[in-house]
Amino acid sequence: MITHEDILKIAKLAKLSVKETEIEQLTKDMSEIIKFADTINTAVEDKDEEFDDINNIVNAYHEDEVIKSFDKEEILKNSESVGNGCFVVKKHVNRR
Amino acid sequence: MSRIKYINNLLETGEVSCVELTKKYLDSIEKENKILNAYVKITQETALKTAKKVDEKISKGEKLLPLEGIPMSLKDNMSTKDIETTCCSNILKGYVPIYNATVWDIIKNQNAVLLGKTNMDEFAMGSSCETSCFGGALNPHDIKHVAGGSSGGAASSVAGNLAVYGLGSDTGGSIRQPASFCGLVGFKPTYGAVSRYGLIAYASSLDQIGPIASCVEDAAIIYDAISDYDSKDSTSRGSRTKTANSLNKCIKGIKIGIAKEYFEGIRDDIKSSIQEAVKVYEDLGAEIVHVDLPQIKYALPVYYIIACAEASSNLGRYDGIRYGYRTSFYSDVDDMICKTRSEGFGKEVQRRIMLGTYVLSAGYYDAYYKKAQKLRGSIVKAFKNVFDSCDVMLAPTVPTTAFELNFTSKDPIETYMTDICTVPVNIAGLPAVSIPCGFDDKGLPIGMQLIGNSFEDAVILNAAYQYEHQVKNKIYKQTDIGVRI
Repeated sequence: MITHEDILKIAKLAKLSVKETEIEQLTKDMSEIIKFADTINTAVEDKDEEFDDINNIVNAYHEDEVIKSFDKEEILKNSESVGNGCFVVKKHVNRR
Repeated sequence: MSRIKYINNLLETGEVSCVELTKKYLDSIEKENKILNAYVKITQETALKTAKKVDEKISKGEKLLPLEGIPMSLKDNMSTKDIETTCCSNILKGYVPIYNATVWDIIKNQNAVLLGKTNMDEFAMGSSCETSCFGGALNPHDIKHVAGGSSGGAASSVAGNLAVYGLGSDTGGSIRQPASFCGLVGFKPTYGAVSRYGLIAYASSLDQIGPIASCVEDAAIIYDAISDYDSKDSTSRGSRTKTANSLNKCIKGIKIGIAKEYFEGIRDDIKSSIQEAVKVYEDLGAEIVHVDLPQIKYALPVYYIIACAEASSNLGRYDGIRYGYRTSFYSDVDDMICKTRSEGFGKEVQRRIMLGTYVLSAGYYDAYYKKAQKLRGSIVKAFKNVFDSCDVMLAPTVPTTAFELNFTSKDPIETYMTDICTVPVNIAGLPAVSIPCGFDDKGLPIGMQLIGNSFEDAVILNAAYQYEHQVKNKIYKQTDIGVRI
């Protein structure tokens, strides 16, 4: 059963700001979805069947070499706010 | 006959120039897209520039590549350099990629004529295309019905004759379901056969790009062009065989598996259409075998747990800092990220992110995510066992025909249940092709799917082709809009 507090906790973890007016509906929807997800717990566990990768690829390594990447200007052009070749956000760290 | 081959021939023999043909499509899009809403972006300039290049090549008497000069559409979750790519989400409106998805790079190099980017459910999360921030795409067979989802725009563009083919993506049925709703062929290749590089991720272990086309041969031609190993996608494998050349193989003696579990809760008219198809296969000399697949009853919750868990991680990148929408009023960086995401993502996307976050959170990980991964292993094994006793499986694509409009306003579980027949294939990474097999009493198309063993894409396409060859006049109905070839 999902509670009001669960919704606030999940929203915080998911970095979503949920409005007070939306909580009731979200609690109802999430409770139903979790109830549905819970049906997997009626399955008898098959201990042998650990899933790793669909095509049994373990690790696809490539050579550790420097290759041409994108220009900084190009990377920055989709941002709302840039300056001095960097993404700009509000000051995040305060001096003690 | 293959529409791609037919147009290729028209172009090479000079019966129509590529510019003329492209203009015809663009004019039709201008007229019909106001109703169908198949496209969310028209790339007129790119299309005409490419068409001109193709005409120059023809004038020099050069032979065209298979997809050269063919007008087509791309789902709006495939990155196109210098062309806005939104995933039909407010959070990505205005985002212009600085690189191409590998699939687009491949066909662009073949001078494929890109007419535009097609509508889809926001971040491919939906079954009706109605979670798109641009509104849903309509079904050209009856505009009171949806085109399906999530690649609804791709299917609508092809069924409405506003593109010869479209590329879509399939995470839990998003190519096959809209193809089924719109009376088309939708092919989800084996996981790893087509590069996912540049495909905006929903659930990386399930996502796969594939074609939506008007016949099996076209789907095979497109698959052959786009399936290649790509070092930029760490799960890429490429394809093992070319498929278009192996479409004429006799299927006498082939074993077609039918699992009763796939037919539970399926509408009676759809069951009857598939029974008719079974008879066609028997007449072709196929042997029908009954197989058991009880594990698929867990496929749907397993799918939603894994897909949402991966989505919650993949969509963590949308923070309003580097690209996409950023909220205007906020107190600090954390507040900015939270508000940006809540204002930028639609309701369904937020619901799935929350579900994914929940199943990965401390205290719930073992009960949901870990358990779902174990059951995924069981489902993979169960399919392997089934393919020891048959060559292909035959199943419905969707339990119903196209939904009426405003489908997503219903209860979320009811919406999720409609994916019951398509998700098992994604969980097991298998290839599957949806092909029309009849019509319901309203004249809406019914689809069935052929499922194959891993990397046996050519086997299912051949089986689909043989069926199509027998009954093509009964399963295809061209809509009377768009460019009639």
